[in-house]
Amino acid sequence: MSQTLRAPQAYQGGRISRIIDGLRYGGGLGQWSWLAHRLSGLGILFFLVIHISDTFMVVFAPDWYDHTVAIYGGIWFNGQYYWPLRWAFRVAELGLIASVVFHAVNGVGVILYDLWPKGSLYRKPILAVVQVIFWGIMLVTTPIVLYPLRKAPDKMADVQADAPVTPIIDPVIK
Amino acid sequence: MAARSMGRRLKPSGGYELFMWYFMRISGLALVFLAVGHLFIMHILNNVETINYAFVASRWTAPRTGWIWRLWDVSLISLAVIHGFNGLREILYEYLTSGGRIIAGTLTWALTFLFIGAGAYSILMFQPDEAHIKAHPLKIEKTTDPMSGSLELDPHLNVDVRC
Repeated sequence: MSQTLRAPQAYQGGRISRIIDGLRYGGGLGQWSWLAHRLSGLGILFFLVIHISDTFMVVFAPDWYDHTVAIYGGIWFNGQYYWPLRWAFRVAELGLIASVVFHAVNGVGVILYDLWPKGSLYRKPILAVVQVIFWGIMLVTTPIVLYPLRKAPDKMADVQADAPVTPIIDPVIK
Repeated sequence: MAARSMGRRLKPSGGYELFMWYFMRISGLALVFLAVGHLFIMHILNNVETINYAFVASRWTAPRTGWIWRLWDVSLISLAVIHGFNGLREILYEYLTSGGRIIAGTLTWALTFLFIGAGAYSILMFQPDEAHIKAHPLKIEKTTDPMSGSLELDPHLNVDVRC
Protein backbone atom coordinates (compact mmCIF):
# COMPACT_ATOMS: atom_id res chain seq x y z
CA MET A 1 0.00 0.00 0.00
CA SER A 2 1.87 2.97 -1.24
CA GLN A 3 1.26 6.51 -0.12
CA THR A 4 2.52 9.71 -1.62
CA LEU A 5 4.21 11.86 0.94
CA ARG A 6 3.42 15.53 0.93
CA ALA A 7 3.82 18.40 3.31
CA PRO A 8 0.80 18.93 5.59
CA GLN A 9 -1.29 21.95 4.66
CA ALA A 10 -0.72 23.65 7.98
CA TYR A 11 3.01 23.91 7.50
CA GLN A 12 2.89 25.72 4.19
CA GLY A 13 2.61 29.15 5.73
CA GLY A 14 0.51 30.63 2.98
CA ARG A 15 -2.14 33.30 3.31
CA ILE A 16 -4.94 30.82 4.13
CA SER A 17 -3.04 29.09 6.89
CA ARG A 18 -2.05 32.43 8.35
CA ILE A 19 -5.72 33.46 8.46
CA ILE A 20 -6.68 30.16 10.10
CA ASP A 21 -3.82 30.54 12.53
CA GLY A 22 -5.01 34.05 13.31
CA LEU A 23 -8.38 32.63 14.28
CA ARG A 24 -6.79 30.12 16.67
CA TYR A 25 -6.19 31.93 19.90
CA GLY A 26 -6.51 30.18 23.20
CA GLY A 27 -9.76 28.24 23.12
CA GLY A 28 -12.91 28.56 25.19
CA LEU A 29 -14.69 31.74 26.21
CA GLY A 30 -11.46 33.71 25.84
CA GLN A 31 -11.15 32.85 22.17
CA TRP A 32 -14.75 33.66 21.37
CA SER A 33 -14.63 36.93 23.28
CA TRP A 34 -11.49 37.83 21.38
CA LEU A 35 -13.13 36.99 18.05
CA ALA A 36 -16.34 38.84 18.96
CA HIS A 37 -14.29 41.83 20.10
CA ARG A 38 -12.48 41.89 16.76
CA LEU A 39 -15.60 41.43 14.61
CA SER A 40 -17.68 43.94 16.58
CA GLY A 41 -14.82 46.43 16.28
CA LEU A 42 -14.69 46.01 12.50
CA GLY A 43 -18.48 46.33 12.31
CA ILE A 44 -18.48 49.52 14.37
CA LEU A 45 -15.70 50.98 12.20
CA PHE A 46 -17.75 50.18 9.08
CA PHE A 47 -20.77 51.94 10.58
CA LEU A 48 -18.65 54.86 11.76
CA VAL A 49 -17.39 55.51 8.23
CA ILE A 50 -20.98 55.52 6.92
CA HIS A 51 -22.20 57.66 9.81
CA ILE A 52 -19.52 60.35 9.35
CA SER A 53 -20.26 60.42 5.63
CA ASP A 54 -24.02 60.86 6.04
CA THR A 55 -23.64 63.48 8.76
CA PHE A 56 -21.24 65.37 6.48
CA MET A 57 -24.32 66.27 4.42
CA VAL A 58 -25.62 68.60 7.14
CA VAL A 59 -23.11 71.26 6.12
CA PHE A 60 -23.94 71.40 2.42
CA ALA A 61 -27.22 69.59 1.68
CA PRO A 62 -29.90 69.55 4.43
CA ASP A 63 -32.34 67.97 1.97
CA TRP A 64 -30.03 65.05 1.26
CA TYR A 65 -29.48 64.60 4.98
CA ASP A 66 -33.21 64.44 5.73
CA HIS A 67 -33.81 61.98 2.89
CA THR A 68 -30.91 59.78 3.98
CA VAL A 69 -32.00 59.64 7.61
CA ALA A 70 -35.58 58.98 6.47
CA ILE A 71 -34.33 55.80 4.77
CA TYR A 72 -33.33 54.51 8.21
CA GLY A 73 -37.00 54.87 9.15
CA GLY A 74 -38.15 53.00 6.04
CA ILE A 75 -38.99 55.91 3.74
CA TRP A 76 -37.39 55.65 0.31
CA PHE A 77 -36.37 58.66 -1.80
CA ASN A 78 -39.76 58.76 -3.50
CA GLY A 79 -41.49 59.34 -0.16
CA GLN A 80 -42.92 55.84 -0.13
CA TYR A 81 -42.84 53.85 3.09
CA TYR A 82 -41.54 50.29 2.83
CA TRP A 83 -41.84 48.32 6.05
CA PRO A 84 -39.10 45.74 5.24
CA LEU A 85 -36.67 48.64 4.86
CA ARG A 86 -37.59 49.93 8.30
CA TRP A 87 -37.41 46.49 9.86
CA ALA A 88 -34.01 45.83 8.30
CA PHE A 89 -32.60 49.09 9.63
CA ARG A 90 -34.10 48.45 13.09
CA VAL A 91 -32.48 45.05 13.32
CA ALA A 92 -29.20 46.51 12.07
CA GLU A 93 -29.54 49.25 14.69
CA LEU A 94 -29.91 46.58 17.35
CA GLY A 95 -26.82 44.86 15.94
CA LEU A 96 -24.90 48.14 16.16
CA ILE A 97 -25.99 48.65 19.76
CA ALA A 98 -25.04 45.07 20.64
CA SER A 99 -21.65 45.52 18.97
CA VAL A 100 -20.89 48.75 20.81
CA VAL A 101 -22.08 47.40 24.16
CA PHE A 102 -20.08 44.19 23.80
CA HIS A 103 -16.98 46.01 22.58
CA ALA A 104 -17.25 48.46 25.48
CA VAL A 105 -17.85 45.90 28.23
CA ASN A 106 -15.31 43.42 26.92
CA GLY A 107 -12.87 46.28 26.32
CA VAL A 108 -13.06 47.21 30.00
CA GLY A 109 -12.40 43.54 30.72
CA VAL A 110 -9.30 43.64 28.50
CA ILE A 111 -8.09 46.80 30.26
CA LEU A 112 -8.52 45.11 33.65
CA TYR A 113 -6.63 42.07 32.37
CA ASP A 114 -3.79 44.16 30.98
CA LEU A 115 -3.40 47.00 33.47
CA TRP A 116 -4.75 45.73 36.80
CA PRO A 117 -1.82 43.93 38.49
CA LYS A 118 -4.04 41.01 39.51
CA GLY A 119 -5.98 41.03 36.24
CA SER A 120 -4.33 37.98 34.76
CA LEU A 121 -5.27 35.93 37.84
CA TYR A 122 -8.94 36.73 37.25
CA ARG A 123 -9.12 36.23 33.49
CA LYS A 124 -11.99 33.74 33.57
CA PRO A 125 -14.14 35.53 36.17
CA ILE A 126 -13.70 38.75 34.19
CA LEU A 127 -14.89 37.03 31.02
CA ALA A 128 -17.88 35.61 32.85
CA VAL A 129 -18.82 39.00 34.32
CA VAL A 130 -18.51 40.54 30.84
CA GLN A 131 -21.06 38.02 29.57
CA VAL A 132 -23.45 38.74 32.43
CA ILE A 133 -23.26 42.52 31.99
CA PHE A 134 -23.56 42.31 28.18
CA TRP A 135 -26.60 40.03 28.19
CA GLY A 136 -28.16 42.01 31.03
CA ILE A 137 -27.93 45.24 29.05
CA MET A 138 -29.18 43.62 25.84
CA LEU A 139 -32.12 42.03 27.65
CA VAL A 140 -33.31 45.52 28.59
CA THR A 141 -32.31 47.24 25.35
CA THR A 142 -33.73 44.82 22.78
CA PRO A 143 -37.42 45.34 23.65
CA ILE A 144 -36.93 49.12 23.76
CA VAL A 145 -35.38 49.18 20.29
CA LEU A 146 -37.83 46.75 18.70
CA TYR A 147 -41.00 48.03 20.40
CA PRO A 148 -41.76 50.80 17.84
CA LEU A 149 -41.96 48.15 15.09
CA ARG A 150 -45.31 46.98 16.45
CA LYS A 151 -47.06 49.58 14.32
CA ALA A 152 -46.33 51.77 11.35
CA PRO A 153 -44.75 55.12 12.19
CA ASP A 154 -47.26 57.97 12.41
CA LYS A 155 -44.84 60.84 11.99
CA MET A 156 -43.43 60.33 8.53
CA ALA A 157 -45.28 63.22 6.95
CA ASP A 158 -42.35 65.60 7.02
CA VAL A 159 -39.87 64.16 4.58
CA GLN A 160 -42.12 63.58 1.64
CA ALA A 161 -43.30 67.19 1.70
CA ASP A 162 -40.91 68.04 -1.10
CA ALA A 163 -40.65 64.57 -2.60
CA PRO A 164 -42.15 64.41 -6.08
CA VAL A 165 -44.40 61.38 -6.15
CA THR A 166 -47.19 59.41 -4.45
CA PRO A 167 -48.67 59.84 -1.01
CA ILE A 168 -47.59 57.43 1.66
CA ILE A 169 -49.34 54.10 1.54
CA ASP A 170 -48.94 51.94 4.57
CA PRO A 171 -48.51 48.32 3.55
CA VAL A 172 -48.01 46.96 7.05
CA ILE A 173 -51.13 46.70 9.13
CA LYS A 174 -54.67 48.03 9.02
CA MET B 1 -1.08 25.43 31.07
CA ALA B 2 0.11 28.89 31.87
CA ALA B 3 2.37 29.17 28.87
CA ARG B 4 -0.44 28.41 26.51
CA SER B 5 -3.09 30.62 28.05
CA MET B 6 -0.83 33.60 28.65
CA GLY B 7 1.64 33.46 25.81
CA ARG B 8 -0.42 35.05 23.08
CA ARG B 9 -1.24 38.42 24.54
CA LEU B 10 1.74 40.51 23.67
CA LYS B 11 2.39 43.97 24.97
CA PRO B 12 4.69 45.83 22.59
CA SER B 13 8.10 46.49 24.07
CA GLY B 14 8.35 50.14 23.16
CA GLY B 15 8.08 52.98 20.70
CA TYR B 16 5.15 53.66 18.41
CA GLU B 17 3.41 50.32 18.97
CA LEU B 18 3.57 50.66 22.76
CA PHE B 19 2.23 54.21 22.49
CA MET B 20 -0.71 52.97 20.41
CA TRP B 21 -1.19 50.07 22.85
CA TYR B 22 -1.71 52.57 25.67
CA PHE B 23 -3.75 54.85 23.40
CA MET B 24 -6.19 52.00 22.62
CA ARG B 25 -6.81 51.43 26.33
CA ILE B 26 -7.10 55.07 27.39
CA SER B 27 -9.24 56.13 24.43
CA GLY B 28 -11.27 52.95 24.97
CA LEU B 29 -12.16 54.04 28.49
CA ALA B 30 -13.17 57.50 27.23
CA LEU B 31 -15.20 55.93 24.42
CA VAL B 32 -17.15 53.75 26.83
CA PHE B 33 -18.58 57.01 28.15
CA LEU B 34 -18.73 58.98 24.87
CA ALA B 35 -19.96 56.28 22.46
CA VAL B 36 -22.32 54.44 24.80
CA GLY B 37 -23.68 57.80 25.96
CA HIS B 38 -24.19 58.91 22.36
CA LEU B 39 -26.03 55.68 21.53
CA PHE B 40 -28.15 55.98 24.66
CA ILE B 41 -29.19 59.53 23.79
CA MET B 42 -29.87 58.81 20.12
CA HIS B 43 -31.44 55.35 20.25
CA ILE B 44 -33.04 55.08 23.68
CA LEU B 45 -33.92 58.61 24.83
CA ASN B 46 -34.66 59.64 21.25
CA ASN B 47 -35.41 57.54 18.21
CA VAL B 48 -33.76 57.31 14.79
CA GLU B 49 -37.11 58.01 13.15
CA THR B 50 -37.42 61.40 14.82
CA ILE B 51 -33.90 62.52 13.95
CA ASN B 52 -33.71 64.97 11.07
CA TYR B 53 -31.85 68.11 10.08
CA ALA B 54 -33.85 70.24 12.51
CA PHE B 55 -32.92 67.87 15.33
CA VAL B 56 -29.20 68.12 14.54
CA ALA B 57 -29.46 71.90 14.23
CA SER B 58 -31.30 72.28 17.52
CA ARG B 59 -28.74 70.13 19.25
CA TRP B 60 -25.63 71.87 17.93
CA THR B 61 -26.97 75.43 18.08
CA ALA B 62 -28.84 75.25 21.40
CA PRO B 63 -28.05 78.48 23.24
CA ARG B 64 -26.56 77.10 26.43
CA THR B 65 -25.76 73.49 25.67
CA GLY B 66 -24.84 73.51 21.97
CA TRP B 67 -21.10 73.78 22.53
CA ILE B 68 -21.20 70.80 24.89
CA TRP B 69 -22.73 68.57 22.21
CA ARG B 70 -20.30 69.84 19.57
CA LEU B 71 -17.38 69.18 21.93
CA TRP B 72 -18.79 65.75 22.77
CA ASP B 73 -19.22 64.85 19.09
CA VAL B 74 -15.77 66.12 18.03
CA SER B 75 -14.12 64.17 20.86
CA LEU B 76 -16.16 61.10 20.02
CA ILE B 77 -15.29 61.24 16.33
CA SER B 78 -11.59 61.92 16.86
CA LEU B 79 -11.06 59.18 19.42
CA ALA B 80 -13.33 56.66 17.68
CA VAL B 81 -11.76 57.13 14.25
CA ILE B 82 -8.19 56.81 15.56
CA HIS B 83 -9.20 53.87 17.78
CA GLY B 84 -11.08 52.14 14.96
CA PHE B 85 -8.53 52.56 12.19
CA ASN B 86 -5.68 51.67 14.52
CA GLY B 87 -7.58 48.51 15.41
CA LEU B 88 -7.97 47.75 11.71
CA ARG B 89 -4.25 48.41 11.21
CA GLU B 90 -3.34 46.03 14.04
CA ILE B 91 -5.54 43.32 12.54
CA LEU B 92 -4.06 43.85 9.07
CA TYR B 93 -0.52 43.74 10.48
CA GLU B 94 -1.18 40.22 11.73
CA TYR B 95 -1.85 39.05 8.21
CA LEU B 96 0.70 41.15 6.34
CA THR B 97 4.47 41.32 6.13
CA SER B 98 6.81 44.26 5.61
CA GLY B 99 5.66 45.73 2.29
CA GLY B 100 1.98 45.16 2.96
CA ARG B 101 2.33 46.67 6.41
CA ILE B 102 3.71 49.89 4.99
CA ILE B 103 0.74 50.13 2.60
CA ALA B 104 -1.80 49.22 5.29
CA GLY B 105 -0.31 51.62 7.81
CA THR B 106 -0.24 54.48 5.32
CA LEU B 107 -3.80 53.83 4.14
CA THR B 108 -5.33 53.53 7.59
CA TRP B 109 -3.65 56.72 8.80
CA ALA B 110 -4.70 58.57 5.65
CA LEU B 111 -8.30 57.45 6.18
CA THR B 112 -8.03 58.42 9.86
CA PHE B 113 -7.15 62.01 8.98
CA LEU B 114 -9.73 62.11 6.17
CA PHE B 115 -12.62 61.05 8.41
CA ILE B 116 -11.58 63.16 11.39
CA GLY B 117 -11.37 66.09 9.00
CA ALA B 118 -14.79 65.41 7.49
CA GLY B 119 -16.40 64.85 10.89
CA ALA B 120 -14.83 67.87 12.58
CA TYR B 121 -15.67 70.03 9.55
CA SER B 122 -19.37 69.10 9.66
CA ILE B 123 -19.60 69.61 13.43
CA LEU B 124 -17.62 72.82 13.81
CA MET B 125 -18.54 74.54 10.52
CA PHE B 126 -22.26 73.81 10.90
CA GLN B 127 -24.55 76.80 10.27
CA PRO B 128 -28.29 76.16 10.61
CA ASP B 129 -30.34 76.60 7.43
CA GLU B 130 -33.35 78.42 8.90
CA ALA B 131 -35.49 78.12 5.77
CA HIS B 132 -35.04 74.37 5.67
CA ILE B 133 -35.81 74.04 9.38
CA LYS B 134 -38.99 76.06 8.92
CA ALA B 135 -40.10 73.77 6.09
CA HIS B 136 -39.09 70.57 7.91
CA PRO B 137 -39.45 71.12 11.65
CA LEU B 138 -38.63 68.83 14.52
CA LYS B 139 -40.48 65.55 14.67
CA ILE B 140 -40.34 65.03 18.43
CA GLU B 141 -43.35 65.91 20.55
CA LYS B 142 -43.66 69.40 21.90
CA THR B 143 -42.72 69.31 25.53
CA THR B 144 -44.88 70.88 28.20
CA ASP B 145 -41.87 71.46 30.38
CA PRO B 146 -42.36 74.95 31.90
CA MET B 147 -38.58 75.39 31.97
CA SER B 148 -38.46 75.64 28.18
CA GLY B 149 -40.38 78.87 27.93
CA SER B 150 -39.11 80.01 24.55
CA LEU B 151 -40.53 76.90 22.89
CA GLU B 152 -43.41 78.60 21.14
CA LEU B 153 -41.21 81.35 19.73
CA ASP B 154 -38.38 79.22 18.53
CA PRO B 155 -39.30 75.56 18.49
CA HIS B 156 -36.12 74.27 16.89
CA LEU B 157 -33.93 75.73 19.59
CA ASN B 158 -35.26 73.62 22.41
CA VAL B 159 -34.58 69.94 22.14
CA ASP B 160 -31.91 70.17 24.75
CA VAL B 161 -34.70 69.26 27.12
CA ARG B 162 -34.48 65.74 25.71
CA CYS B 163 -30.89 65.26 24.78
